[in-house]
Amino acid sequence: MTASTFLFRGAAVPFRPGETIAAALTAAGLRTFGLDPAGRETRYFCGIGACQACLVRVDGVLVEACLTPARADGRVEPAEDRHDRS
Amino acid sequence: MVIVGAGIVGVSTAYFLKRAGVSVRLVEARAPAAAATGAADGAVSVASKRPGPMMATATAGIRLYRELTAEGVLDGLFFTRSTFLVAVDDAEAEVLATHAAALAASGVSVERLTNERLRALAPSLSADVRAAAEVREEGHAIGYEIVRRLIARAGLAVERGVRVDALVADPRTGRVTGLDTGAGRIEAEAVVIAAGGGSADLLGLSGVLRARRGQLLVTERAPALNAGLPGAIMSARYLLSKASAPGAAPAASARGYGLVIDPLRTGQFLVGGTRENDAARPDTDAEAVAHILRDALRLVPGLASVRLLRTFAGLRTAVVDGLPLVGAVPGRAGLHVATGFEGDGICLGPLMGRSIARLLLGEDPGVDLAPFDPARFREGRAAA
Amino acid sequence: MTDPDLLVIGGGPAGIAAAVRAADAGASVMLVEMRPALGGAFHRRPIEGVEPWPIGREGERRWARLDEGLVRTGIVPRLRTAFLGLDGAGAALLEDRVAGRVEACHPRAIILATGALESVRPRPGWHRPGVVTAGGLQVMMKETGRIPEGRILLAGSGPLLIALAGQLTARGRPPVAVVEAADPFTEMVAGLGLLAHPRHLAEAAVHLGRLALARVPWRRATVLEAITPKGDAFEVRLRDRRGRRTTLEVDHVALHDGIRPNDHGLPAANETPGAGPIVVSAGDGREVLGVVAAEIDGERAADRALALIDGRPEATRDHLRRLARERHAQAVLARVFAPARPLDPLETLPDDTVLCRCEGRTVGDLKVLFTGADTPAGREIKLTGRFAMGLCQGRFCAHWVAEASARLGPDAPAPRPRDLTGDRWPARPVPIAALAAVPDAPKR
Repeated sequence: MTASTFLFRGAAVPFRPGETIAAALTAAGLRTFGLDPAGRETRYFCGIGACQACLVRVDGVLVEACLTPARADGRVEPAEDRHDRS
Repeated sequence: MVIVGAGIVGVSTAYFLKRAGVSVRLVEARAPAAAATGAADGAVSVASKRPGPMMATATAGIRLYRELTAEGVLDGLFFTRSTFLVAVDDAEAEVLATHAAALAASGVSVERLTNERLRALAPSLSADVRAAAEVREEGHAIGYEIVRRLIARAGLAVERGVRVDALVADPRTGRVTGLDTGAGRIEAEAVVIAAGGGSADLLGLSGVLRARRGQLLVTERAPALNAGLPGAIMSARYLLSKASAPGAAPAASARGYGLVIDPLRTGQFLVGGTRENDAARPDTDAEAVAHILRDALRLVPGLASVRLLRTFAGLRTAVVDGLPLVGAVPGRAGLHVATGFEGDGICLGPLMGRSIARLLLGEDPGVDLAPFDPARFREGRAAA
Repeated sequence: MTDPDLLVIGGGPAGIAAAVRAADAGASVMLVEMRPALGGAFHRRPIEGVEPWPIGREGERRWARLDEGLVRTGIVPRLRTAFLGLDGAGAALLEDRVAGRVEACHPRAIILATGALESVRPRPGWHRPGVVTAGGLQVMMKETGRIPEGRILLAGSGPLLIALAGQLTARGRPPVAVVEAADPFTEMVAGLGLLAHPRHLAEAAVHLGRLALARVPWRRATVLEAITPKGDAFEVRLRDRRGRRTTLEVDHVALHDGIRPNDHGLPAANETPGAGPIVVSAGDGREVLGVVAAEIDGERAADRALALIDGRPEATRDHLRRLARERHAQAVLARVFAPARPLDPLETLPDDTVLCRCEGRTVGDLKVLFTGADTPAGREIKLTGRFAMGLCQGRFCAHWVAEASARLGPDAPAPRPRDLTGDRWPARPVPIAALAAVPDAPKR
């Protein structure tokens, strides 16, 4: 295992280089990645960026966890709408 | 009676006639709300109207929405909220001040807001906004939802996919007695043409009506940002684009931009738009969309981290003199028209439908239709 | 950005083959791929330090050839770049997810090689976290080498279920069962057609052999009726050919009901020079014929595009002959995997069954639209029912809503999925900050 991690809801999630956020969260035992802005549970489904079900928030913007590589020391938040609007 | 066109105007006409116990057929070339009604921003608003007949009619249009909602007809579809006119520079602030005064003078509830009050009301707005006015008692209604509800309430069965080829008239009297359609001849005691751009061919008004394209955008849900906007945000520049500020001339350029940011009840945003002459198809392009978005970001910076979900465009039917075409068609007994509302069809549709229905029933339409009289385009007469 | 002669969308076998073929013919080529790596569904590349998924020696040779072609032609693919569609002005819109901006590009021709999308039929509970597509499970396995912990059930229909089950078994993690709506063993006559396609037959034999050895039940002519959460696991209800119902408790459900072209929101083919860019589609995105055909079709599409923009000669005969062979194989497979009994019509599912996963719109919500005197048409179903209006833009519900609507309103013309999805760009949601970066174009 490599030492690379990103923060999800404040907790460090390990990942291997090149791994997507969805793969890392799934490997960490998460079945849902939090709520989406409509209040539904986000979850891995199609794996190819088509279903929009696995959304997470990176740098304030929603991205498909299944398409987006994890970044060392990055911050990943659930998709629910709490981003900073200042 | 036969109504041609199942946009908001035609459906409203059919609804009010049915309500009065009249038997109605509603024929539609495509499907209900397939054209401008289904690609509208849903503003039930007087905020951007030019002083004069349009401002007065829009006010009456909003009142009817309120009545229909109170009766339960539009329950859950029409929502009252304010429109905020905002300015980011001196030129816009000047237009805004003039326009707010004009609205107040015609009895609209409008209030200039201090910056402090604006920040408290609309925290999602940029600090660049330096002047604002709140136009109260405005509303929002989604065109296709209104159409669907009125169809259901009236128990109408829309005759879809029926193209009208020509009007049928009595050769002796000239009175219109029906329609020739792709589905055969339809006899009618009276005919109402509410077919938007399709009205021109039927009425021989090709020089009078023109298509004006509007491009609109819908974002994904962003409830927190959405909650920071208590109503529609309308850039004072929109007034310039729409040429509705007093003394402003209709836009001569092919493409005008105006900005409205509407926080939808879903938590999404509807952002618009363009006004484009001579556009053949209702499509959207990245250049216009990016332009609209840059304007929107200037007013609501938090939109930067929201994703755009859809773009769409409508071809609105406009009349060359900027006023709709509503009433009896001169020299064609039995024929009425109601079209040419450009971007105001959602606001005015139910009211104009009721007015036409009342005319057909021999009643007082209840609003002054004289400025919209089709007779102003009779041969040999200059445009009003 | 310099506008290329040819823009190729999708870095699977069809896209790579097209890009290499066009570059070999002297065209300037831009190859874009939405994911962080090339490969596509079959040749999906593992992340660093993970062994590539075994795809057989022939598969490895094919990938080596594609990879060598890219090296030889010097094509540097643009990864993490999504195609948003063609706008009304004919610009191809590319979202560069590394730079966070959208670019308007004006190639002379575009080859769409976006591969296939899985069909997953709605069933009660199919929207729950922990229920994935079989392809989604395969993506995870191929990229990371990992298989989720717990009991896995594969259900639906199609050869992919057997292939995936064989792969899981080879990794020492056989699924609890494979539930298959068809009964391939009774389709003997149709199955004989596969004798003409030894590659498919050999592959099936390997997978089925593995399943038999590991005693994985292949429950044919059986459907998965419902998925109900039970603690952290699921209780799934199955119905066999005689209508007998049984339940199973599992931790993961992977669904798959076939595949279809992934053509959502993409421009229509355009072979008329002068009417905007030439658009040619290739591979599974045009017609689902599988990985071997994808490569052949990519070359065919490149030839076609270059013929249309430069009048270069096409060598279509050999391509078409080889494609016809793959088409025959797929047709045989389709017959073998035809459902043993008619599937339950969607409108007979419980009213609270989710059709639109994004917005949670249900069978009951759809039926309400058909209760009045007036039968709504496709676009009205979308707008007033809010189907196909969510973030996936109808990719996972439009087909089903159209199918159910045709039955609910039999007197009206049957709606097409495209009536529900519409065909406007953006083909996928795009960050406003990225799109606002598109400059006003100089007048062309």
